[in-house]
Amino acid sequence: MQAALALPILAVCAKAGAAEVGEIGISTLGYKERGLMRVIEPVLWGRAQIADVWEVQASAAVDIITGASPELVTNASGRPVQSITGASVVDHRTTGDLKVTRRFGDFALSASHAQSSEEDYHSKAYGLEGRVDLDQKLTTLTAGFGHSDDHVGSSIDPTLDAPRRTNEYLFGVTQVLSPLAVVQSSLAVSRGKGWYNDPYKLTLTFYPDQGLPVLASDRRPDHRDSVSWLTRLRRHFPQANGTLQADYRYFRDDWGIRAHTLEVAWQQDLGERFAVRPALRYYTQGAAGFYSPVVPRPQPEILSSDQRLGAFGGLSPSLRVTARFEGGLVVEATAGYVVDARSLRLGGGGSEAFETLRAAYGLVSVSHTF
Amino acid sequence: MRIGAAWILAAVAALLAGGCAPVAPYQRGYLARPDMALEENAGTAKALEKTFAAKEAASGGASVGGGGCGCN
Repeated sequence: MQAALALPILAVCAKAGAAEVGEIGISTLGYKERGLMRVIEPVLWGRAQIADVWEVQASAAVDIITGASPELVTNASGRPVQSITGASVVDHRTTGDLKVTRRFGDFALSASHAQSSEEDYHSKAYGLEGRVDLDQKLTTLTAGFGHSDDHVGSSIDPTLDAPRRTNEYLFGVTQVLSPLAVVQSSLAVSRGKGWYNDPYKLTLTFYPDQGLPVLASDRRPDHRDSVSWLTRLRRHFPQANGTLQADYRYFRDDWGIRAHTLEVAWQQDLGERFAVRPALRYYTQGAAGFYSPVVPRPQPEILSSDQRLGAFGGLSPSLRVTARFEGGLVVEATAGYVVDARSLRLGGGGSEAFETLRAAYGLVSVSHTF
Repeated sequence: MRIGAAWILAAVAALLAGGCAPVAPYQRGYLARPDMALEENAGTAKALEKTFAAKEAASGGASVGGGGCGCN
């Protein structure tokens, strides 16, 4: 997704100091889960300021996804476990977005469009965002509206072409706290309606009384309303030549999911050219009200055994090295590890059927400012 | 959990409402450093956000109008 809440105050300062009017970059992500999916994702992006009052940002990416995805949760062995069925997944997803911003003094208005296409999912999204700088650009208020019009298909059911429409509303405030600190807090409200079932997920349940087993398709509510509240803090420490970066997000939806995400990073300068950034991301969520790894009796109308809707937690340490060269060339390399497990849920109570996910990723990006 | 969220909300509100000092334009050099940016570069931000969103139930918060994905 396009990160839209750029900080105009800092952008203006950076431009004034370094005469920066644009940037182009390319990055490539390699992601591999143990025993499951592999993803390669090259991303090309750019932004340019034109005639002082216009800014254009654009990006394009391709996801190349291969491997296996868990499709069936069954208790045939006595306890519910995930199993991988069907052929290996091979999919390509192409995505692109464009955002145009026009400044009118202390006010800026942006319009954006994003679209993506893969074999079984197509999405078109539009956004409008207004920003106003107050108090000599120490405070920035942001309000945005977004609409996405998606279509869900299935590679195993060519007749499936179901719509999903989402409206999003964003309110944010960015505040310079001191010459060394800035904080931003934003609230995004999303209201979605349409098809949320996962056509590839099944639940097969055997009962102890030897009755006939039941095979249930994934059935979810036809709507999803959610709230995401994101707060980000940046604090520089000149004596240490380092910057603390902390992001916290609270998420809740009307499926019953409550989630917290906290990422803390420290970027340390090593001389004028190099920097290292160790980071730790922690995630925890509660289960959706209709999540169950077995089909209860009587069978409910909505039910999903997709463990992404279960209760679990995740830890992801990462390390980034940045090198800045003369002429505006920047090279970044990031290596990270992800482990999601029921035992990592905050306060315990992770879903018993949740199977630990382990993944590693590497990300290299090269950008040039001009 | 709700109490924790309320404390964080209160802390953010306090920071935004009264925790700021006047900062003249000539004092904003540190704020313009790349590591003080609230967003990572677009390539890094997009790739990592989608990676986590595909495996977790929560997503979003930073922007609107980004569209969805199958994410199987």
